[in-house]
Amino acid sequence: MAEVLLEARRLTKHYPVTAGLLQRTVGTVRALDGVTFTIDRGKTLSLVGESGAGKTTVAKMVLLLERPTSGSVIFEGTDICQLSPSRLKTEYRPRVQAVQQNPWSSMNPRMRVRDIVAEPLVVNTHRSPDEVRATVQHMLTQVGLMPDHADRYPHEFSGGQRQRIAVARALALNPSLVVLDEPVSALDVSIRAQIMNLLKDLQEQHNLSYLVIAHNLATVRYVSHWVAIMHLGQIVEYGPAEAIFENPVHPYTQALISASVLSAPEGAGPETKPIILTGEMPSPLNPPSGCRFHTRCFKAIPECSTTEPELKDIGEGHQVACILAY
Amino acid sequence: MSKTVLEVKDLRTSFFTRRGEVKAVDGVSFYVREGETFGIVGESGCGKSVTGLSILRLLPEPAGKIVGGKIILEGTDLLQLSKAQMRGFRGRKISMILQDPMTSLNPVYTVGDQIAESVRLHQKLPAADMVRDEVISALRLLKIPAPERRLHDYPFQLSGGMRQRVVGAIAMSCHPRLLIADEPTTALDATIQAQYIALFKDVQKTTNVAIIFITHDFGVIAQMCHRVGVMYAGKFVEKAATRELFDAPRHPYTIALINSVPRLDRKDERLFSIEGQPPSMMDLPPGCRFAPRCSSAQDICVQQEPPEVKVGEEHFVSCWRAS
Amino acid sequence: MPEPNTNVGAMTVRKAGGLSRGVRVLRNLGIIIPLVVITLLVLTAIFAPLLAPHNPTENNMLARRLPPAFMTGGSADHLLGTDKLGRDNLSRLIYGGRVSLSVSLLAIAITASIGTFLGITAGYLGGRIDGFIMRVTDMALSFPALLLAMLLQIGIGPGFFTVVVALSILGWAGYARLIRGEALKLRNSDFVAQARIIGASPLRIMFRHIFPNVINSLLVIMTLQVGMMILMESALSYLGIGIPAPTPSWGSMVADGRGDLDSAWWISLFPGIAIGLVVLSGNFVGDWLRDKLDPRLRQL
Repeated sequence: MAEVLLEARRLTKHYPVTAGLLQRTVGTVRALDGVTFTIDRGKTLSLVGESGAGKTTVAKMVLLLERPTSGSVIFEGTDICQLSPSRLKTEYRPRVQAVQQNPWSSMNPRMRVRDIVAEPLVVNTHRSPDEVRATVQHMLTQVGLMPDHADRYPHEFSGGQRQRIAVARALALNPSLVVLDEPVSALDVSIRAQIMNLLKDLQEQHNLSYLVIAHNLATVRYVSHWVAIMHLGQIVEYGPAEAIFENPVHPYTQALISASVLSAPEGAGPETKPIILTGEMPSPLNPPSGCRFHTRCFKAIPECSTTEPELKDIGEGHQVACILAY
Repeated sequence: MSKTVLEVKDLRTSFFTRRGEVKAVDGVSFYVREGETFGIVGESGCGKSVTGLSILRLLPEPAGKIVGGKIILEGTDLLQLSKAQMRGFRGRKISMILQDPMTSLNPVYTVGDQIAESVRLHQKLPAADMVRDEVISALRLLKIPAPERRLHDYPFQLSGGMRQRVVGAIAMSCHPRLLIADEPTTALDATIQAQYIALFKDVQKTTNVAIIFITHDFGVIAQMCHRVGVMYAGKFVEKAATRELFDAPRHPYTIALINSVPRLDRKDERLFSIEGQPPSMMDLPPGCRFAPRCSSAQDICVQQEPPEVKVGEEHFVSCWRAS
Repeated sequence: MPEPNTNVGAMTVRKAGGLSRGVRVLRNLGIIIPLVVITLLVLTAIFAPLLAPHNPTENNMLARRLPPAFMTGGSADHLLGTDKLGRDNLSRLIYGGRVSLSVSLLAIAITASIGTFLGITAGYLGGRIDGFIMRVTDMALSFPALLLAMLLQIGIGPGFFTVVVALSILGWAGYARLIRGEALKLRNSDFVAQARIIGASPLRIMFRHIFPNVINSLLVIMTLQVGMMILMESALSYLGIGIPAPTPSWGSMVADGRGDLDSAWWISLFPGIAIGLVVLSGNFVGDWLRDKLDPRLRQL
């Protein structure tokens, strides 16, 4: 029976846009609007979408790097937005860590690897230097690096190795949830497989939950149990990975899969009829009325511009936000 | 059979650094025909971008030098041209598109000005409105909506996909015979990428331009290219028609690379991953460059570099096992 | 996206690899000579008592305005001649160097520390703290330094420490501004976000993550300041509001020789050359350091 680790309820984040001499608010960037999802213990939820979808904003909310405008993030039953800074530091931060997209900028270039991996321990625990050293060695071995790598600096490693160091750092405190923001997109193709396999292995060994942010659907299919497709700050389709990929219902999901199938070697061929969307992604400053996707949708009907669809369950946890689907 | 626009024979390009000679491209040969797209696929550091730069003779000096080979564009060996002559070719007969549209476009000039610059440089058009017409037709070729108004836009006013089209318009404005595209879609969203590739195929049909498409993404290769070359550590390890490469790859690196990409049409249980890393270009192993990472390497593989062998219609492999 | 290393536009391959040997030798000379000069200066300053042939403040009315040894009338006893009170020029030059150098280095240490601390605090914490610190910095930058030096002289009385205070009390502002800029950039970097995710406190982040990454810029600024400080101290002493007599300082030596420029020109010339040499060398070393450490700082 799946145990819910983290629940996001109607997460909303608006950024005010100011202009003019008096810095008046002239508009709002609606980065997130009513995003709801759950992450089970030991499972991976992937957020998929293109730029402007709000995936990184969700990550910031979950990591509480910024506070949501409204909505809540419930971790193991507690609303983290209500926690005091000290409780946040002792109860939440050690349990939720991150691996960032860019392995070249996510590490302090002036710190040695052993200090980078040890820092979470140093900041949050009172372990002796020997214990810390031992933990660092253990983590490095876990991610497939050599113990003597600890004394080197990040720039001495390749991109893939640096991501491994980032994973080691993320796991140093034995967190329950790791947020991974495009963990492999900056890496070479053959290295991606290495890192993805590593992540899967570690998940099994430690019963880790992952919140993965990605735009490459094939990668998503490989690593995810649950998938949420995001468009312009909202989740348009949500469900078990297999259900989404075998039976995509929302037109945007279908378009994304079509674009990605074309990008797969086995999908090419003159018979494949690609879904090419017209137009550009609308701006989150000024989202379209009604369904935010209707301006680019190949199935849109007049009602779509006036009705805002809600996420509705169409069976076995598979939810879609499209009036044509229900 | 359409005629060959570009033929590259045994191209060798090196970078001379304080620490030694980096043989970035070490014996690369291929050809591209009219209206055809040749893809160069490989991972970072394999030399694919340097190959593109070498054809345009745009290597960073004084460290980068083409040390050998021939680059023949419709009968002219580009390496024999003077610098001034080469400048005449660049933009006019050969054009290039780079990965990041934001840095390819000058933020302080309008779209119209930037395309016009290319037109004015290479075409002696007597009247200003003739230049304007050329600019608008370039914008139309790349299906940029409302081109007359786009002329006056600045790059920051456009989306990523639009900017990349403007870059394409600049590249195509002088009707080049050959277009080199270096990872033009990497920075684009999936749906925009699909649009862009469809657009480029149309442009190619209309203008019959030969395209060299450099990328690390096999999916883009599948959509865009007629023939492909897989590069590793400065050399081609396999060259074939696209369909043939995916259906019947012969080189272990190609096979491993294709297998390490997750599939969208089914759930993979475990991805294949290639152990180790590409060799340092200053310190290449004596035999086959892929041998240290190859699961089927034999003795001869570490001792001698394999020659290129024809294994099918337009299909070439450099591997002792495959021949 | 593949690693930036082989990006089409990036020239990660260093250009020097293709330069001829002659050019490279010249380049190396360009840094060795200034370094040698600075080293010699520092050594001379440290070992002044051993090197100076005479007592720099001892008057000798019988040997006034003697020319340097290489001219007629000069003697080996006073290699660089004497000044209008018969004091040995060379000894005064050596001790003067010691004074000028110690004043400058002390001032640099103080201004760099204050400025860096304020800069990092303003840059990382932002908000009202940043606003406040920047207003104070603006005031310091716009205050007339010379006037303040004079007021200090009147207020505290002339002396070594008065000069140090005069140089330091406003000098930190330049550092604060530049370091704040660096801190602002670093605040948005991924590894700082990572440190926040781990739960590090702002103080820890400023010390452990921001500071080590501004050291490069700091070193460059400090080295370039050596020449600047020596010039300022010399200017103050020349104007009479610096190191008081009889302690020699290069600036006051130039002032002393002002009246004799047409006859006993050596009294002003040698300290003047010394000042110029040190400032030049300091700048060369600073430029070299900047290029070595971070070519992006070229606009400094």
